[in-house]
Amino acid sequence: MQIWRFILLLLVQGLIFKQIQFADEPWYYLHIFVYPLFTFLLPVKLQNSIVLVLSFIMGLLVDWFYDSPGVHAASLVFTAYLRPLILGILEPYEGYNMNEIPGLKRMGLGWFASYVSILMIIHLFFYFSVEAFSFVFIFDIVMNTLFTFTASLFVILLLQYIFSSK
Amino acid sequence: MNSVFQLFIKYGFHLIFIILEIFCFYLIIQYNRVQNEIFFNSSNVYIARLATSTNKMYQYLNIRQVNDSLVRENANLIENLIRIEYINTEIPQLDSAFSQYSIIPAPICNHTFQLANNHITLCKGRREGIEPNMGVISEKGIVGIVRNVSDNYAHVISLLHSQTRISCAVQSRNTHGNLVWKTMDPQTMILESVPKHQFIAIGDTVVTSGYSTIFPKGIKVGRIEKFEVVPGSNSFEITVKLFQNLSSLPYAYVVKNRFAAEQLKLEEEVKNE
Repeated sequence: MQIWRFILLLLVQGLIFKQIQFADEPWYYLHIFVYPLFTFLLPVKLQNSIVLVLSFIMGLLVDWFYDSPGVHAASLVFTAYLRPLILGILEPYEGYNMNEIPGLKRMGLGWFASYVSILMIIHLFFYFSVEAFSFVFIFDIVMNTLFTFTASLFVILLLQYIFSSK
Repeated sequence: MNSVFQLFIKYGFHLIFIILEIFCFYLIIQYNRVQNEIFFNSSNVYIARLATSTNKMYQYLNIRQVNDSLVRENANLIENLIRIEYINTEIPQLDSAFSQYSIIPAPICNHTFQLANNHITLCKGRREGIEPNMGVISEKGIVGIVRNVSDNYAHVISLLHSQTRISCAVQSRNTHGNLVWKTMDPQTMILESVPKHQFIAIGDTVVTSGYSTIFPKGIKVGRIEKFEVVPGSNSFEITVKLFQNLSSLPYAYVVKNRFAAEQLKLEEEVKNE
């Protein structure tokens, strides 16, 4: 199940969403990133170190498509590193189920949306910072983060609706 | 070995994170053109900045010695200035006159400037050759007159004293007057008894006249700020803005006049006749 999601997200990101680029202001700030969903949806009780390594592999492969060695990998590893913290903060009253994936169907829209939003903002801000590699470009970093976040969140929720209704 | 393994279990997550990130950033800097350029350029900038501030710090460590040597240097320069002043006069001078004045630099230990009668204490005294009735000057102007000396300290009557009367001249105007302090403002003094038929102008420089044994002539004191004729008087009352701000003065220079005793003795004899 996880391996299929891995391959599917990688291909969707690398082949389809990579093509979505705009030339006009302000839409060139808009990109769509769905591959972090793989890290988000790993089971809660999976060893954190394994989450890190899997995220690293995922990031490197995305980098392979984007021709930017290390940039996606660095940001996805960072996101995976903060995932346990965010999961701890958002932990429901009754705790998590052992082998559960923190998906939309199990956890509900409100929880899932906030979970994805927090990690996504972290991920995107880190990604665009590393991409610009200097906070001189802070305006571009923030604009990129905001536009991309809105679009990506929408697409991720849509994908979750489609695939969890089965 | 077991404890190392346990340590790894406990902190392995963080360790793996750090290793992976280091590896990622290695890739980023190595294989991405933009990031590579920014990284190497900015590290050059930071290293240069670091070197500059370290350098500044080392300079600061030496500041005391630098300061002392500057003060000595200043004393020499002031001495030379006074000599030049005497060389330029048309009256031919004996060779001995060129070294009539010598300068002793002295740090200021204590001073007041807000009272009606202000005093200064210098941290050097008789042992350094300071004696009563020597003039005290600074790089920018005059400071006061030595009143008493002990072995290691000298007590100076500041310019800002109600009894101060210093013979001064307006530079290149050939007029003389007495500089007194009655404004209670540490920045200004009054030049009195300049006859009102003399020509003076605002902005003229006031210098010492050299008519006493205390100060050599030509030491700049201040600039004329305004002047007026006091009603019923025959002379101007000239407000002089001092060049030297006496409220902040770390060092002063004592002027030693080698021939002071000789001159005073001669003048005394004339008086007694």
